[in-house]
Amino acid sequence: MSEETHARRTDHPGADENGRITVTMAEVPGLGGLYARGVAKPLLRHLPGRTSEGATVFGPGAASLLAPVSYRVAGVDTGDPALRERLAAYDRVVGEPASDVLPAGFVHVLAFPVATALMTRDDFPLPLLGMVHLANAVQVARPVVVGDVLEVRAWAQDLRPHRRGAQVDLVTAVRTDPADDAPAWRGVSTYLAKGVTLPGAPEPSEPHGGTAAPASDSSVEHPLPTGRWALDAATGRRYAAVSGDRNPIHLSALSARAFGFPRAITHGMYTASRALAGLARERGDAYDWTVSFARPVLLPGTVDVSVRPDGAAWVYEGWDARKGTPHFSGSVTPRG
Amino acid sequence: MSPRKTSPSTPDPAPSTTQPAVRDAVIVGGNRIPFARAGSAYRTASNQEMFTAALEGLVARFGLQGERLGEVVGGAVLKHSRNFNLIRESVLGSSLDAATPAYDLQQACATGLEATIAVANKIRLGQQDSGVAGGTDTVSDAPIAVSEGLRRVLLEAQHAKTTQARLKAFAKLRPADLKPNPPVTDEPRTGLSMGEHQAITTAQWGITREAQDELALASHQNLAAAYEAGFFDDLVTPFRGLSRDNNLRTDSSLEKLAKLKPVYGKNLAGTEPSMTAGNSTPLTDGASTVLLASREWAAERSLPVLARFVDAETAAVDFVHGAEGLLMAPAYAVPRLLARNGLTLGDFDFVEIHEAFASTVLTILAAWEDDTFCRERLGLDAPLGKVDRSVLNVHGSSLAAGHPFAATGGRIVASTAKMLSQRAAETGKPARALISICAAGGLGATAILESA
Repeated sequence: MSEETHARRTDHPGADENGRITVTMAEVPGLGGLYARGVAKPLLRHLPGRTSEGATVFGPGAASLLAPVSYRVAGVDTGDPALRERLAAYDRVVGEPASDVLPAGFVHVLAFPVATALMTRDDFPLPLLGMVHLANAVQVARPVVVGDVLEVRAWAQDLRPHRRGAQVDLVTAVRTDPADDAPAWRGVSTYLAKGVTLPGAPEPSEPHGGTAAPASDSSVEHPLPTGRWALDAATGRRYAAVSGDRNPIHLSALSARAFGFPRAITHGMYTASRALAGLARERGDAYDWTVSFARPVLLPGTVDVSVRPDGAAWVYEGWDARKGTPHFSGSVTPRG
Repeated sequence: MSPRKTSPSTPDPAPSTTQPAVRDAVIVGGNRIPFARAGSAYRTASNQEMFTAALEGLVARFGLQGERLGEVVGGAVLKHSRNFNLIRESVLGSSLDAATPAYDLQQACATGLEATIAVANKIRLGQQDSGVAGGTDTVSDAPIAVSEGLRRVLLEAQHAKTTQARLKAFAKLRPADLKPNPPVTDEPRTGLSMGEHQAITTAQWGITREAQDELALASHQNLAAAYEAGFFDDLVTPFRGLSRDNNLRTDSSLEKLAKLKPVYGKNLAGTEPSMTAGNSTPLTDGASTVLLASREWAAERSLPVLARFVDAETAAVDFVHGAEGLLMAPAYAVPRLLARNGLTLGDFDFVEIHEAFASTVLTILAAWEDDTFCRERLGLDAPLGKVDRSVLNVHGSSLAAGHPFAATGGRIVASTAKMLSQRAAETGKPARALISICAAGGLGATAILESA
């Protein structure tokens, strides 16, 4: 049924049934180099045009703007001693119980650079840096355990309009055996490029670079908290060390200011992974894990968190402990 | 006790002749030092000094110099790593026989009661004839930890085999690592302080500011009256110039309590904060001990017998995912304890519920009166019942006395045993008491005592 089922059959360069060509990489690239490439990349040189305000406007056929390509890395050895050390450090940072099972958030940090590499292609229609991570959805069909040798595939799909620009899904599929039909782990990361207009879509409701602050932010009614996260200024640096995501907006106030933030912000995936860790006992071996991000958490900061059962699922949300501004919400659903 | 199930293929073994019958464990008496607000009279006293003082007072009170007791059991919640044998070291510093064994035990605020349960059970099983249970805590002399970064560097350097490796370890040190970590009362899994947790429970149960202040005032008035009546004369030994708990306010009033500003639950959406410094227990230093024995051991030494330790039940709740309030575990323990002993809340002459916060007592009482809670959470057919306020914390509790975490259990057990002894002497009839203590980690310990 799924695209990746078809995609995996393309063992050699050549178009799959979705018309994507598999490009096999020798190893998972480092995010640092990718960010450098993202900065250096000639900005949107493939885009058909720009408005007078500097916002980008696509011509007809936005979907075809995504290059028909999927990236693949095979032989990612999770039994590697350095990787085990990193797993232990990751578990400590996000509060996962020490275990040989890779938490879904750790699989994400291992695999996602493959998707990031796609975004640094010269022909990727949106700029890597400055993109906003809107949401993330992961399905864990089977646990990935230390010692598994992983095959990672990533591609972009569903370039579509958003009220503030254009959004796109980066799909990452992780198999513990390349012959498996369905991946053990599948993640969809939704990113927004602000100020980009797709064909047939209304103009973005706010100019490029603006901050999206719904006026009613602080008046949102939250449930009673079940926890409080006191996040110190080094929170971003600690998660950067275990995730490899050293995007300057997370590292220090100085480096974040260069990108328009008053202070460093947490990695969205840190907050989601910490919420997931809080449900380690409840989620079981196979689960769905979602998050959508609202306002970023400025560091240092205090986040009030609520986690509660909702039918078969656990839902969680986090908001500014003082002002009530929503930061994130999501769910963890055990797969019965 | 329910009859043991047997199957035809495995006949019930004959009762062992070496199996002793369970006998009574009785409370002979207790001794504590006055409790002091953190940073006051016991500013420079250590846990070991305070526990040794409380223990030595107990030894003096009951003439135990040179006695080899079965065991001394106790602990501290905030403990230095060097105090790994805190209670044994205290025994060695006392005039008990040095051949008296000891061990440390810790169950947050339930430490003292859990130690009492442990000592009583060994006595009941005939494994020992006497024992001391207790606890001590100091916030003033609390351990301060080095940062996680510095700790890892120090450990790595210690394990390094070469100077070069040691230097490499120290090279990882960052300026921020030099910041010390004083102890916090935050729950590790939620990051919320105990007060914030209780503020959430208070909001859920709609406990009013007025009800909390009234309970706090009653605690001060009851404790003051008990001191005036000389109730504590044989329960408390002066220490470092203090002869009474210095948190006790004899001049407190509802008007004064009403003026205090809320300190917890100030940012809970849609709720009115109600928990103040007046209706919450302050951080406190102190130590307490209780002497337990078999009836024979006490009789041989012509020692008094105040009460019998009947039974105990502990419980825990999942507060991490908000399923229950952090301090609500006793609400679950007590119904199980009552059911096992065929008792109801109305069968008690005294009910002692540790006042971590006034609202902790009030939410537990409200839960037991709540039909939905008792049916859905406790699995009962009807509400557990109402506690008559005239039997609740009649000589004051932690709001007035203070709450040196591990020392509270010993304070309550000793005072309650004496109350039972007095009541039975007055009325000529047996008296019974229920003790309930909530603790960090969603824990709760409860017990039943009866006049001996």
